[in-house]
Amino acid sequence: MKALKYLLASSLISVFLVVSFGLNSVSAKEAIPPGGSHDGVDVPQPIEFPHNIHVEDNGINCMYCHTYARRSKVAGIPPTSKCMGCHKIIATDKPRIQKLTEYWTKGESPRWKKVHDLPDFVHFTHERHIKRFVFDQDYPVEDVKEICAFCHGQLKEMTVANKVKPLNMGWCVSCHEANGGPGDCWKCHK
Amino acid sequence: MSGPVKRRDFLKIMGATGVGGTLAGCDLPSTVTLEEGKEDVVSYFMPEEYVIPGVGVWFASTCMQCTAGCGVHGRIREGRVLKIEGNPDSPVNKGKTCQMGQAGLQGHYNPDRIKEPMMREGGKLSAVTWEKAMGVLKEKTASAGNKVAWFSGTVSGHQSALISNYLDSVGASKNHYTHEIVNSAVWQAVNRDMLGDSMPKLDIENAALVLSFGADFLGTWMSPVHFAGKWAKFRSVSSGPGRGTLIQVESKMSLTGGNADLWVAVRPGSEGAFALGLANYILMSSPEAGNSLSGELKTHIASFDMDTVSKLTGTSQDYIKRVGDALINRSPSLVLAGASVEGHEHGYDAVAAVMLLNVMLGNIGKTIQPSSPSPFQQLEARQGGTRDLVEFSKAATAKEFDVVFFSGANPVFTAPESLGLTKALENTGFKVAISTFPDDTTMQADLVLPLASYIEDWGTHVPAYQGDGNVLSIQQPLMEKLYSGTKGLGDLLLELLKDKNPGQYGAYKDYYAYLQDAIKTMQGSSSVKGREANNKNFWNSTLQAGVINIEGGNKKFALNNVDIKVPVSASDSDYPYYLVPSPRMGLFDGRHANLPWLQESPDQIAKIAWKSWVEIHPSTAKKLGVERGDIIELSSEHGSIEAEVYTMKSIHPDAIAVPLGQGHEEYGRFAKGLGVNPLKILTAKTDRKTGELAMYATRIKAKATGRSEFVRMRGNKTQGGRKFVRTINVDLLKRTEGA
Repeated sequence: MKALKYLLASSLISVFLVVSFGLNSVSAKEAIPPGGSHDGVDVPQPIEFPHNIHVEDNGINCMYCHTYARRSKVAGIPPTSKCMGCHKIIATDKPRIQKLTEYWTKGESPRWKKVHDLPDFVHFTHERHIKRFVFDQDYPVEDVKEICAFCHGQLKEMTVANKVKPLNMGWCVSCHEANGGPGDCWKCHK
Repeated sequence: MSGPVKRRDFLKIMGATGVGGTLAGCDLPSTVTLEEGKEDVVSYFMPEEYVIPGVGVWFASTCMQCTAGCGVHGRIREGRVLKIEGNPDSPVNKGKTCQMGQAGLQGHYNPDRIKEPMMREGGKLSAVTWEKAMGVLKEKTASAGNKVAWFSGTVSGHQSALISNYLDSVGASKNHYTHEIVNSAVWQAVNRDMLGDSMPKLDIENAALVLSFGADFLGTWMSPVHFAGKWAKFRSVSSGPGRGTLIQVESKMSLTGGNADLWVAVRPGSEGAFALGLANYILMSSPEAGNSLSGELKTHIASFDMDTVSKLTGTSQDYIKRVGDALINRSPSLVLAGASVEGHEHGYDAVAAVMLLNVMLGNIGKTIQPSSPSPFQQLEARQGGTRDLVEFSKAATAKEFDVVFFSGANPVFTAPESLGLTKALENTGFKVAISTFPDDTTMQADLVLPLASYIEDWGTHVPAYQGDGNVLSIQQPLMEKLYSGTKGLGDLLLELLKDKNPGQYGAYKDYYAYLQDAIKTMQGSSSVKGREANNKNFWNSTLQAGVINIEGGNKKFALNNVDIKVPVSASDSDYPYYLVPSPRMGLFDGRHANLPWLQESPDQIAKIAWKSWVEIHPSTAKKLGVERGDIIELSSEHGSIEAEVYTMKSIHPDAIAVPLGQGHEEYGRFAKGLGVNPLKILTAKTDRKTGELAMYATRIKAKATGRSEFVRMRGNKTQGGRKFVRTINVDLLKRTEGA
């Protein structure tokens, strides 16, 4: 009887191990983009920032400007000094750049409006997601915009950002399930 | 409504309550989550290299929520301080904080902060510019000559030195009054006289037994976080002499009392008698313990036999024996005396009786060690008590001051009516309040100078109690000022001094420059640890560590006998009860009543929050014919207060306690008009030897008012705007959640 119990227990453990290894192997290999869509409202910004010109026409990497994404929970709006690093010289005749230069001369940053907002009780971190989908995968960093597009949509086709994914809890959880992300409540609600 | 309720009426009432309940339970929609384009997001203009948005940076500073002087670290993110923790480098708190320290943020971000100077014009305070405010102030102080006084709370470090220097410069050196309602002034006076050391080190962790007479060292006494660390070691089975035993003797259970192994309730004012009763008990079993005592003292002790002590204290003889046996059998011990022992006309004698036990039990030099004198005497803490409040009230009533500065103290709230402070303030020519909040005193001032929060200010602090090494704790801003119209205390003092003594102070651009220079001077002293670093590194490493460790000198106790005369009989009065105005970790002396976190965290013993109540023993309540929730009136010779009854067994039947902290007439939206202030009806009697207010000696009558709280329920029908359960309207839900 004792032996039977032992056998039963060990087989259960091995089933568990197989299942968990299986899940791990899914998470280590494939990235399954989240589905879902959201018809975002147009959010007027102080300067109509053209993502398309930067991303598509000039091939600038997302993380060149949103440099904190790989290091912090927030991706960060680039500091005004970074914009001016290029735009002291480039396209200075364009009205949008002139408006930016006005801010720069006044010593102020534009008051952008937040498009992708999460409640304060949700602890989302860009750093962990970039690690999982880019660096851990040896995904080519130059193509990171495709990973960013999982949640932010194709910015290369937009001027100012527009919300195209629901970003609600059910949506987060479905992607976590598909990609073997953590399912503990406290991972996000801490 | 009287008579039986008809069925139809009953239904109407139910219907109305049902609707009311639904409306009240459902707060206005509180969710703006997942919205687009609602919140601003502003980037840095040109960030520092090390700044990463979303990642916190920690800076060291000093907590100013009580007078203990704990070192803290503040987490700064995107230029704002978000969290306070203890600084492990500070020997005071060793990386820990208490709830009051944590709530410092709520003072800093408090919506009721004063943002600009105000001056009384036509009986009303109205906003003025700094130029005008300082112009008027300089004019007033110039014509006041030496009739200037400074009324503050406990103050130390370079701010204290500057206050002294300012008063010296106007010839009013003696006019610095320091006042704290929660203090240990009599304890210090007794130690100074008996040991030659007013602040000896208390080695709680190595004691086998601590007998505390009302010293709430885990809550409000001297340095609670420091003592809590010692307490943890004291209670540890594996370190020192094993798990220590705590016996607490007091008339109303404190937080420390709640943690005791044995809690003994005594009649207020009889603690000294209990101590001498124990002395008598010890002498009976080991007469050699009394070798150093004078014959006169031994005779006085002998009059405290079991029977007398039992009658005086209202405690059974069995308890006296148990405590006495514990003292004899558990060595080394440590006997402490707190505010409830000090606060009587014979307070000094009672505390001395308690210290006598330490002498008799051989604790001096074992669990009570000499302090290390600091080489920087000018920076030592000027500790507040209540004698200065009494003295100030007298001097001000006699029209001795034309200009009075108030900083870090709120005497209009803390002074009993019987002291006549109201009259005193009327007789004071020009009252200047340097304050962060519109508190009771500030709103009576003629000129209000808005003070930066301690989180935005520079300063240095020397903890009054230095248990594990001398230290100068650095206060550096954890973030930029929220309101540009406020000024730091040091900056204000410097401005006043520049006016009086430009030769010495004119060269300093601001208090920051002054401090840098002062710290550089300190580096020259051989007592400063880490001074070998070059100048710039020393300043930087000082800011980084948050503390300068100082080698204190060696001191020896100089033991003296003092006269001890504890009353052998209880006084009769028309007022049968004693009022116990009890402070607690949290609201403290009332200074934290404007911090909702601390209002929300309930009293540790009674578990009540956000209001005042009256703690009464069930037997007394029965005698008075009141129950929990009934409104009771307490009157002393100096006035009366009303609050609801809370019956509990952890109080002596002759004591009635009202917690301190509430009853502010001003102090912002969270504190104003909440509860009652027991300090108002206290007696003006003082301790005979030190002149400190006899805060626990007020006799009162109690009377049921016949009213009571109408409905007493646990919980609340509304969320009070606190968003425990979030709500969202249907349209928004459909749009954002896709439901």
